[in-house]
Amino acid sequence: MRLRPSLFWQARALDSHLPLLLPVCRDLQSARNELRWLSQHVDDKCRTESREIHHNLLSNYVRRRAGGEPLQYILGSEWFGDLKLYCRPGVLIPRPETAASTSYLVHRLSNGILKNLLPRNLRVLDLCTGSGCIPLLFHHEFYSSPDHRMSTLELIGMDLSNTAIRLAEDNVINQLRLQQHPSSNGEERLKSLRGLRVLRADVMETSPYSASVTEVLRQHRGLKETPTCDIIISNPPYISAKAFRTTTARSVRHFEPRLALVPHNSRHTDSEHDGDAFYPRLLAIANELEAKAMLAEVADMEQALRVAALAVKERCWEGIEIWRDDPATGRVDTTDVGKMSVRVLGDGHGRSVFLYRRLGAAPLAD
Amino acid sequence: MSIGLVRALRTPCPTYNAIRSLRAFSANPLSLEKALPPRPKILETDLVEAFLRGSGPGGQKINKTSCAVQLKHLPTGIVVKCQETRSRELNRKFARQILAEKLDVLEKGDESRSAIKGERARVKKASASKKAKRKYRKLDEEKGGVEQDGAESQEEGHGTGPAAVDGVPARSAETSPDGGGVEGPT
Repeated sequence: MRLRPSLFWQARALDSHLPLLLPVCRDLQSARNELRWLSQHVDDKCRTESREIHHNLLSNYVRRRAGGEPLQYILGSEWFGDLKLYCRPGVLIPRPETAASTSYLVHRLSNGILKNLLPRNLRVLDLCTGSGCIPLLFHHEFYSSPDHRMSTLELIGMDLSNTAIRLAEDNVINQLRLQQHPSSNGEERLKSLRGLRVLRADVMETSPYSASVTEVLRQHRGLKETPTCDIIISNPPYISAKAFRTTTARSVRHFEPRLALVPHNSRHTDSEHDGDAFYPRLLAIANELEAKAMLAEVADMEQALRVAALAVKERCWEGIEIWRDDPATGRVDTTDVGKMSVRVLGDGHGRSVFLYRRLGAAPLAD
Repeated sequence: MSIGLVRALRTPCPTYNAIRSLRAFSANPLSLEKALPPRPKILETDLVEAFLRGSGPGGQKINKTSCAVQLKHLPTGIVVKCQETRSRELNRKFARQILAEKLDVLEKGDESRSAIKGERARVKKASASKKAKRKYRKLDEEKGGVEQDGAESQEEGHGTGPAAVDGVPARSAETSPDGGGVEGPT
């Protein structure tokens, strides 16, 4: 949609930087918000410098933002739930929908079927962890609930990209620094955060030499046999090559890493559903590790239904749910996928697929 | 009474440390005044909360920076919007504070927490400016030239922060970018 010229005049009357921000922000209010955050960042960054240096730095930031660079890369941070995490180019910026699903997952642990299904002491694996946002928020939400104060929680994040692993480790160190107050935090909380590891692994096992998730986990735990895990979470690349070209925002396309957005698969490039490549692998890993529950983010309702259909075919998942952008609103619909009835929770677009195993049932051998 | 209090603080007693830590707070003379009425509370069941994210696909395909929170208070129909920070959780807190303040003003008028606060700040400012005027008048008299200074009675700016309340759009358009009236989380 074309922006009215009068809007630019209106913006210029408020601040000379605003007209530059308008085309990327699309409306005056967001442009004003972003300018305010940028200028706060300049103030925080150089308190003692002169006015001129402040102004030059702000102009520089505004120009970068006007060129489409994500605000989070310029500011170097993004909020994810209650946590402020570092952001750097080369690593996907955490999205608020992912935070909503993660928080809702932790909320669900305390009651209903999951409480009986899962052990008190949890082992959680996050695949394609990126900035480490999911394990960190899981940790925060888990220990915020009084039910879990005395539980132990083992968190492991895995990623293919070394840039992402470094960033995730920095985020863990930063959270350790922030959460080190001995007063309010339990011992288990701190122990769990100290034990949070980010390891390099290749979910897709693109080459025979790449480190598989199971193997990396086995070595990390120092086991001989196949390791196990309770919950697998993943926000894998899920955009198809075509959707990347057409429906993905320009700023995402040009500035965020393609590795985190589009599955790399050489076998069937540009087939209609090439965005789904990770899900069969995730389901296979969940079976290998005998995970009791799995949460995987998806692009939209269509993809959610396709992933649910894959899970139905596995025949080992007792419950299959699709969560929308905001799963905690209380709205529940049901839809049929194959022979199973799938609950669809919350409001917004289809955002993730949640699976849990039958209580007490042995995992399928084959 | 206050002298007695000060004396009691000076005499060493077993809970001296506790009292001393209290005194750190009472460095602000305002807190020796009558305590402010408590922060008004709102029932969560009276609220409808909306996260304004606009349309579009969401997820990885788009990267939004806005995390505006809109609150509607069902019994009164007041709508408050907050997009002060980049954190949705902080915006939720601020939106609740702004709404609580508005309801308080609506209900109690001059007796409300924010009105009392504003009045105290106004009195303080008025007395400061009165003292300043007196001082400069004295200086001027000493110099010999008796001049009248222009009356400076600034109305105390009582910003409502970034909240846009339905029916009062003019105010929200004027709010300063630093969000004057919004209190930080306590």
